Amino acid sequence: MACDKGNLAAGVVLAAFGVYVILVAVRLPYVSEVGPGPGFFPLWLGIGLVLFAGTLMFASVTSSTNETKSESQSWRMTMRSLSGWVAVMVAIALLGTIGFVLSFIFLTVFLIVALERRPVLLAVGVGIALAVVFQLIFVIALDVSLPKAVWGF
Amino acid sequence: MNPKAILSAVTLAAIVAVCPGFAWSQEFKPSKQIEAVVHTGPGGGSDLLARAIAEMLLKEKLIQQRMQVVNKPGGGPAVAMSYLAEKKGETHTIGFFTGVWVTNPLTTAEANVTVKDLTPIVRLVLEPAVIAVKADSPYKTVKDFVEAAKKSPNQLRQSGGSVTSRDNLMRLLIQKATGVQWTFISFPSGGERLSNLLGGHVQMMVIEPQEAGEQIRAGNLRVIASLTEKRLAALPNVPTIKEQGIDIPLIPQARGVLAPPAVPRDVVQYWEGVFDRFAKSSSWHQYLEQNQFEDGYLKGPPLGKFFDELTVQMREVLKEAGAKVVR
Amino acid sequence: MDALGNLLLGFSVALTPINLFWCFTGVVLGTVVGVLPGLGPAATIAMLLPLTLKMDHTTAIIALAGIFYGARYGGSTTSILLNIPGESSSVVTCLDGYQMARNGRAGPALGISAIASFVAGTVGVLGLMLIAPPLARFALRFAPPEYFALMVLGLAMVVFLAGESMVKAMLAMFVGLWLATIGTDLFTGESRFTFGQAKLLGGVDFIAATVGVFAIAEVLVNLESKGGAELFKLAKGWKNLLPTLQDIKDCRFAFLNGSVIGFFIGALPGAGATVASFLSYGLEKAVSKHPEKFGTGVIEGVAAPEGANNADASGALVPLLTLGIPGGNTTAILLGGLILWGYKPGPLLIQEHPELFWGLVASMYIGNVMLLILNLPLVPLFAQILRLPYYVLYPLILGISIVGVYSVNNSLFDVWVMGLFGLLGFLMRKLDFPAAALILGMVLGDGLERALRQSLMMSQGDLTILFARPISGTLLFVAAAILVLPAVRKVRSWRVAAIEREG
Repeated sequence: MACDKGNLAAGVVLAAFGVYVILVAVRLPYVSEVGPGPGFFPLWLGIGLVLFAGTLMFASVTSSTNETKSESQSWRMTMRSLSGWVAVMVAIALLGTIGFVLSFIFLTVFLIVALERRPVLLAVGVGIALAVVFQLIFVIALDVSLPKAVWGF
Repeated sequence: MNPKAILSAVTLAAIVAVCPGFAWSQEFKPSKQIEAVVHTGPGGGSDLLARAIAEMLLKEKLIQQRMQVVNKPGGGPAVAMSYLAEKKGETHTIGFFTGVWVTNPLTTAEANVTVKDLTPIVRLVLEPAVIAVKADSPYKTVKDFVEAAKKSPNQLRQSGGSVTSRDNLMRLLIQKATGVQWTFISFPSGGERLSNLLGGHVQMMVIEPQEAGEQIRAGNLRVIASLTEKRLAALPNVPTIKEQGIDIPLIPQARGVLAPPAVPRDVVQYWEGVFDRFAKSSSWHQYLEQNQFEDGYLKGPPLGKFFDELTVQMREVLKEAGAKVVR
Repeated sequence: MDALGNLLLGFSVALTPINLFWCFTGVVLGTVVGVLPGLGPAATIAMLLPLTLKMDHTTAIIALAGIFYGARYGGSTTSILLNIPGESSSVVTCLDGYQMARNGRAGPALGISAIASFVAGTVGVLGLMLIAPPLARFALRFAPPEYFALMVLGLAMVVFLAGESMVKAMLAMFVGLWLATIGTDLFTGESRFTFGQAKLLGGVDFIAATVGVFAIAEVLVNLESKGGAELFKLAKGWKNLLPTLQDIKDCRFAFLNGSVIGFFIGALPGAGATVASFLSYGLEKAVSKHPEKFGTGVIEGVAAPEGANNADASGALVPLLTLGIPGGNTTAILLGGLILWGYKPGPLLIQEHPELFWGLVASMYIGNVMLLILNLPLVPLFAQILRLPYYVLYPLILGISIVGVYSVNNSLFDVWVMGLFGLLGFLMRKLDFPAAALILGMVLGDGLERALRQSLMMSQGDLTILFARPISGTLLFVAAAILVLPAVRKVRSWRVAAIEREG
């Protein structure tokens, strides 16, 4: 069960998001001469979001929490995942400049070394092996183009 | 004159004379795969046309390198057009345009690339359109439909594409000319538009003769007018809209080829040459016939003029249609 | 019987060596394309069109159709093993299929997927053979109000995807519906929520979003648990690598459900295979004796949607071959192919070219058998992927995801979208928001809004059109019943509890 602080935070974020949607939706025409306009649907979606988010916030505030999860433990684990996500985004950012192969090797090395604490050599080996497999299957056999850098891959 | 200048000029002239292919007449020839950008996904109109043309060009031995179709769908032509604009000066990329490449930037603020930013190469096709109704409906001429619309304003329905599509613009022009009104219902795919007409949920649609051809033969549809200057060869008994007394500007659905901005002159000349020969080829003429397209071959300055005139016409029509014109 | 005679004609065409060869090639290629995320049958068929010009036309359609329905077999492989939807229509298979793999039952999941695909595919071909023209005529009666009712019925399924918290499921669904509004409005040309980006004018790419929410999020969630045991337990022994007879018995209704719903939805132009698989999954859960187990790895939860997306392929051929109307992207290319080869697809196609239609139908029976024989033995082979140590598996999943998403439109933007949805999916998992509800909203949002607005245009603003028409009225009633059912059940259980307390 997720801790209720999380639910409350989600509720707040979603309610704020709902308000944003409503604000954009009212600027769009509600009705056009061809029936309901582009603002119609998003407006009701925004209202629905605010209502349900409000319910969620209410429920999370009024429910009793008798969970004594070790806060620091769960934070560390979440940090692992988030750093993994950051690595993925960095790899995506690098795709355009250093090409798929190198970005992928970087990502693999990060995951294996930083997160799984395995030897660098293994990580590089796995990275190269998988990258070669991808090149073979997708680029060569299937004629799909992958992001490449100036040096051709 | 300065003796040094004379010497330089003579030397330069000598060099040019000795190396004939050197300075400006170096002819362009593609040395790697050619990218053909289309704004639809696989199976869309532009995609199928581009693939067919790529195949025919190879078959007629007009190009030696393969032409690879690259799909860049999204926001109508917006994604494809901005992709082409990014490929400034790229010599191995071309794009296949349709009329919507002209109209979309007029109404969409984010679509900040217009046809003027790109390099026109050639216009190949003019797609005619006809007005079709269900075979068992009481409308035999456009007049019948207009009369019925007059009696029950906004009760009759037409299926078509988006509000800025040719279907709707033709509707608005006819409405203005005749003073009647009927409802327009947008459907994203041609299949849905046709199935709604066949199912009797709408009364009329603007359709390409090739799509309608089989339904006519099977007796499901009746064509009551052709939206062209002259009667169509495949439908000789169908009067044009002008013949039926409604004189409106006809919006052509054009298809052709563009190149990215700042492409060198010799590359443009190369493509113009290729498509010049292509437009005369027998496989192209066969293709035009099979699909009931009209040969819309046009290149050079008249093509630029065509785009300009079309843009002005579209802007006016869209404004009257009540669409938000941003350019 | 007329149909039988025609079928014999068809088999005489389909059983020639060259047609058998191309049928086999088509289904194998389709399976491969279906397994790989991103690359789809539409692009493959489009690429191969030029080659088909040199073939006999019946051979050509047999091969291309083989790719089309073959891809539906392959789509479930990565869905089950890696939580990466191989095709949009395999999204629903991820829900229970991946959980089955986590429970050590990857083999039975893959196996039942192949069997359900075979059953539904065959039923679909039977339908195509026997009831195509009347079905096409019936499908024509579906106007926007009916499509709207269908979408509402689909959304009512969120009730079945809710899990613990209905509020969270609704929120996830609403966010999904909102995501569907991003882009250019079809009716007015206005852009909505595009943040000034031209690349968002076409909306958020569905594959990018689903791969992010499922696959990327899954890797991120797994990263939380430090090191340790192998990712999945893989049952030992050949017997456990295929579905048991009990499994197959349990899926009896799922086979029927998938076949009928898939075939029927496939025949409606514009409604896609993803809608069919959601509806089939929802129905299966609704009639199940243990609905609360869905989402944890229930085999019927794999059989129903997999069957549905296969029957959908046959269904999509109904309007194409009987009316010349393409229902979706891939059938549009097939239509283009037919025109390229000189045919005129329309109501008279079957009459005038019986060998084309009946040859195709017969080859589809053969193709489905080929696919079953191909896929079943591959099940243990594919399942071995799960033996890979997790430090090879995570990069593999991430790599396939990036490559697959990129290959859809050659767009780096889509890969970014995938990354962002990965984070969203991760947060949703942590906070117990059902990802399936989000995806449901995305899939149906487009169609729902469009159908509603089209209906209101038809009726000039009169909402009663939705209820007054028989078909849409019925569907809406069923949807309402589904939505009201849990509330009724709750009230009844309160009543029972109250009575017991008094007694």
